[in-house]
Amino acid sequence: MKFVGRRALRAAAAGVAATLVIAGCSGQALEGGGDSEGGEGQITLKVNFFGDMGQEMIKERFEKANPNIKIALNSAEFNAHHEDLQKKLVAGSGAPDVAAVDEGFMVGLKNQADNFVNLLDHGLGSAESRYLPWKWKGSMSADGKQIGLGTDVGGLAMCYRTDLFKAAGLPTERDQVSALWPTWDAFIETGKKYTETSKKKFIDSGTNLFNPVLAQQPVGFYNEQEQLQMEGGPKVAFDVSMKAIDAGISANLVSFQPGWNQGFTGDKFAVLACPAWMLGHIQQTAPGTKGKWDIAAIPGGGGNWGGSWWTVPAQTKHAEAAAKFVDFATQPEQQIEVFKTVGNLPSQPALYKDPAVLDFKHEFMSNAPTGQIFAKTAESLQPQYLGKKNGKTRESVERVITQVQEGKLTTSDAWPKAVEEAGKAASS
Amino acid sequence: MSLTQLRPAPPSPQRPTASAGKATLWWHRFDTRTVPYLLIAPFFVLFAIFGLFPLIFNAVVSLRHWRLDDADKTGWAGAENYSRLLTDADFWNALFNTFGIFILSTVPQLVLALLIANLLNHRLRGTTFWRVAVLLPYVTPVAASTLLFAMFFQTDSGMANWFLSLVGFGEENPLNWRAEKWSSWIAIATMVNWKWIGYNALLYLSAMQAIPRDVYEAAAVDGAGPQRQLWQITVPMIQPVVIFTVVLSTIGGLQLFNEPMLFDENPALANGGSDHQWQTIAQLIYQVGWRDYNLGYAAAMSWALFLIILVVAAINALLTRRFGGGR
Repeated sequence: MKFVGRRALRAAAAGVAATLVIAGCSGQALEGGGDSEGGEGQITLKVNFFGDMGQEMIKERFEKANPNIKIALNSAEFNAHHEDLQKKLVAGSGAPDVAAVDEGFMVGLKNQADNFVNLLDHGLGSAESRYLPWKWKGSMSADGKQIGLGTDVGGLAMCYRTDLFKAAGLPTERDQVSALWPTWDAFIETGKKYTETSKKKFIDSGTNLFNPVLAQQPVGFYNEQEQLQMEGGPKVAFDVSMKAIDAGISANLVSFQPGWNQGFTGDKFAVLACPAWMLGHIQQTAPGTKGKWDIAAIPGGGGNWGGSWWTVPAQTKHAEAAAKFVDFATQPEQQIEVFKTVGNLPSQPALYKDPAVLDFKHEFMSNAPTGQIFAKTAESLQPQYLGKKNGKTRESVERVITQVQEGKLTTSDAWPKAVEEAGKAASS
Repeated sequence: MSLTQLRPAPPSPQRPTASAGKATLWWHRFDTRTVPYLLIAPFFVLFAIFGLFPLIFNAVVSLRHWRLDDADKTGWAGAENYSRLLTDADFWNALFNTFGIFILSTVPQLVLALLIANLLNHRLRGTTFWRVAVLLPYVTPVAASTLLFAMFFQTDSGMANWFLSLVGFGEENPLNWRAEKWSSWIAIATMVNWKWIGYNALLYLSAMQAIPRDVYEAAAVDGAGPQRQLWQITVPMIQPVVIFTVVLSTIGGLQLFNEPMLFDENPALANGGSDHQWQTIAQLIYQVGWRDYNLGYAAAMSWALFLIILVVAAINALLTRRFGGGR
């Protein structure tokens, strides 16, 4: 390498030095980015979220109404989002000004209510009248601090592909499809028929049966004394998912991962358990399937899966502005718009009677009246208590279901393993 | 940033005469006794801050309870974290995975690097091109290449399975690379090998070029073929570099993190597969510390890993010295 002369070396050194300088500058810029005062009284709110919560529309409207506040959106994967938030709450720095929190992580976080701004201190106590009572209580700490305002509730329905149903000789009309599966057993039988005629898989994955069935049980993973209760609801839900896998109707994909997303466009499954927020995911992942989906009732009737809150971590330097954002985002006008564009069902019962929701036809989902369908399941809901470690426990049991789908574990050996893994998660 | 300045100053040709002033004498002493230490101090200061301090702090943390999600759980734990390690099935599983992937990656990596270096050491057309080409994987960011490999090893649409189907394997049931220990280990080891073979080959090559030609000529006269020349002349003569690469790849292999992390369908969870089939120790430390929020226990694992690396690197260096022809 003789041709690399001294001059070249010097040039390289200068290059390295320059890079370091640039890196240094941008590092500073990044650090200050979160809460720097841009212009006169200009502030930036960092808003962290997951999935699709209609954030773009809310940002646009909020910035228009509050010209001195900028919104910086930051999206992350579901589990990572919540674990990162927890980490930063404890570290004492780095948390966003506004953070979305799902019901699965809410119990753990509202036990650390000191880490959040009490929204009652910012005059948001009046919002209580807007909400379903259980949604309002869901984010309230034991000592009466309100750490979040509810966005959506999941509700539960069953999305299905009309084109694939037709090809397999099944009915395609909403009520007729609902009548096919009053129970989960009937649902699995329908799946067998579908798979027999079409030679294709019926459901996406066992975990996406486990979650809705668990959501329909009176007690989930934990009772209100925070004791793990695997033999109750979880066992029922686990058995249904095992039965479906044994029946050979599952495409055995891993939910919310790349292969699963490809499954939407590759016709890898014909039905999908649909909380209202799932509609947003379908539209985002498979825009090409517009008009091919429709929504029927879920077997077993009702239930809730998921739903979130907007919270304000106590670290924020702009508590007033952040509380304003939370209030703004949960106003009926915004919630109705999110419902129309994304699909998320508001947690405010007055809106279920609002013609904008009641008469809404979801174009992407073959003009299904999603307002009527989901509101019906949400209003009659008996919410389930979700323990502090609910998120981690669910993820552990989902992994066991994945092992069965990978063929590493027989369905009969799976339950003891699930109990073991859940126990580990509970004591981790 | 002229590198030439780093050379030690030549010893001054003559001692100062008695007639020189006291100040000159003091300066001379300072210059010869203290300045060298000042010059090397930056490294040691940085090492103390970013190397030694974390090591000691980590050791302290490993003897304590420290949970991020439960501020009340604090105080000295004694050896509790360490004794829990001994009975933790997840830890032993991760240790097993780490060693499995380590062997699958290090051995082929160094052997292939040696063979490639030997090839490049011969007269070839476009020498520079080949040398740059083998180094390219090393320059590629791990995150980018790993994401590509993650697609390469996908079950339904991955190229790996397409290649396999060409030879008539898995056409009906394509192989799920992530499902089993052996297949996921091979996939991850492939990523590691791909990245580091060229780097090691260049290190070997530079050492080989320092071997005098006449040694080979003498061997050739005595009737030693190319094979014999490689193993009995080249390898013993580049032994210091071989030891260096063995130690380095031992450290790298036992700390393996990026590749197994990003190979997962859901990387953020650090699970290393549905049943932790490829979870390495570094991943487990991350998971225990940042997902379970148990920093004390994670620190104990880090220290255990540190000790394991020390022992294994020492054994490897010893073995290489013994079997590599010795001195």
